[in-house]
Amino acid sequence: LTAVPQAPGAANGRPTGLLERMIAPFRRGQPPPPQPVTGFYTDTTVCIGCKACEVACKQWNQLPADALNWSGNSYDNTQTLSAMSWRHVKFVEQFPEEGVRGQGSGVREDGADRQPLPVVSPPLPLTPDTSPLTPGRWLMMSDVCKHCIAAPCEHSCPTGAILYNEFGNVYIQPDICNGCGYCVAACPFGVITRSDLDGHTHKCTLCYDRQKDGLVPACAKACPTASIQFGPIDELRERARRRVEELHGRGVTGAYLYGDRATDTYSALHSFYLLVDRPATYGLPEAPFNPWLHMKGDYLRSLLCALVALVALFVVLLLGGLP
Amino acid sequence: MTTDTAPRSIGYAQRAPIKPAPWHALVAWDMFFNGMTAGLFLVAALGELAAPQTFAPLARVAYPVALGFLLADLLMLVLDLGDPFRFHHMLRVFKPGSPMSLGVWSLTVYSLPLTVAAVLSLQPGGTVFEWIRRVAVVLGLLPALVTIVYKGVLLSTSAQLGWRDARWMGGFHASGAVLMGCAQMALLASVLGSGQAAQVLRAGLGVLVVVHAVPSILVTAALWPVPEGVESRRWQRIAAILLIAGGLLLPLILVMVSGAAGWLVAAAILILLSALGSRFLLIYLPHYSA
Repeated sequence: LTAVPQAPGAANGRPTGLLERMIAPFRRGQPPPPQPVTGFYTDTTVCIGCKACEVACKQWNQLPADALNWSGNSYDNTQTLSAMSWRHVKFVEQFPEEGVRGQGSGVREDGADRQPLPVVSPPLPLTPDTSPLTPGRWLMMSDVCKHCIAAPCEHSCPTGAILYNEFGNVYIQPDICNGCGYCVAACPFGVITRSDLDGHTHKCTLCYDRQKDGLVPACAKACPTASIQFGPIDELRERARRRVEELHGRGVTGAYLYGDRATDTYSALHSFYLLVDRPATYGLPEAPFNPWLHMKGDYLRSLLCALVALVALFVVLLLGGLP
Repeated sequence: MTTDTAPRSIGYAQRAPIKPAPWHALVAWDMFFNGMTAGLFLVAALGELAAPQTFAPLARVAYPVALGFLLADLLMLVLDLGDPFRFHHMLRVFKPGSPMSLGVWSLTVYSLPLTVAAVLSLQPGGTVFEWIRRVAVVLGLLPALVTIVYKGVLLSTSAQLGWRDARWMGGFHASGAVLMGCAQMALLASVLGSGQAAQVLRAGLGVLVVVHAVPSILVTAALWPVPEGVESRRWQRIAAILLIAGGLLLPLILVMVSGAAGWLVAAAILILLSALGSRFLLIYLPHYSA
């Protein structure tokens, strides 16, 4: 983006000197011409949990490794999206209680609850996921910023650091963000966090730099099963709907798209998902709500309370203060 | 070991997908000082407008105090940022749709007439300066009003657990700020020995406690249900009841029972302590709800 042109004498792309530092954020450049809107379509039914997307994202964006700890939750070691992990592969193990008791988040860290791991069963043919005969299954999903069409983080940002770039993606300008944290509070998906390293908020840029050079985002490029697909959003939506029909035809009647269309309470997403279980199973809100839908009413109630208090006090002061 | 053949969903379903805002004690103090400065300014200005003979001497002391609280508020706001040296980035855009942007601009605008009123209140009363001071007081009314109105809306306009359900959060902070302003004026009147002003403010406190009780109860009711598995929210119910009892009921009883200065001071201090406690309680709510 051209919001902050480089100042003469700038070192390493940063303005130098106190005055320059004060002035630079207020400079404006010409916004780039709009491009076809792009996004991600993530088909969770073909995700194999290889984490190539996580690695590719960290490598391309030069993000430090983090949270390489035993989480107790399957093969999930990064545990959540964060300022340093812009891709996060989730592992959901759905097995009968008897088979794998102790796996997942129920495992105690002291190991008291640990049970011997069962022998891995051979893969079964794809069956309707509601069948009582299904002995269990893995669900894996590569999570990322949803790049909401009406993004609460963009609404909230008081500095204008968060904007929609020419590809219609939600982008945080790293040289503008001052780490106020309101976008963290506003995001209903828990995507954005503030970095402990630089104090600014970070999230997926949808590889804005790669897109400008005509390249596919690093995660989509690295995905070996085409679970993560990138492209013009209309094409992706069409492709995803055909895939849902195909899965329904093969008996996977629980397949559906999450974030493909706007709801009464939330816009459509530019990063949407094909799921086969409830959204909550994947750690997604069942019915995301845009907090800005309440804002006008909240302001009116706030103003009402203020005025009632002030008028009541004024009357008391007027009557009581007379000589 | 139970034999449950139904597929079990583990891992993410029990976790709220929302991350708590990175706001802690500094933001709670910011919310407190916000109400202290704007509330005091508004009540002092109303007093001057309603009954200048009674309240003007008090108001001349109140404006510098309000300026001090504003400076403390701004300090909290800056220090709470992830990158405090970028505070001025807040002023590069004006976004009324963002409560934080509106708040920063309202505080900025409010700071100008408040500074003028505070500085000129410390000057001997020359006619020209006095008129400028009065104009500054009037000009400060609207930004001070916006300053108390936006703060709670900033919290309720978010995805945070608890805050997002509290539709009267803005009203709670707004009426609370006026109540805090009145409590401060009552303290000033008591300390400065302004007997008539103290008695009027005592009545004002009684009325405002009743007014403020409405959004307080509505916010408490909205936050009363404890989400399944969130045990840490239960003790907050007890804290909320204590804050309502100690910050509303007890002060109301105190101002109704006696007109003695000591009782009025006690009521005012209880109100201010309750305001501080409730702001801490609310700011930490998402952290205890996750």
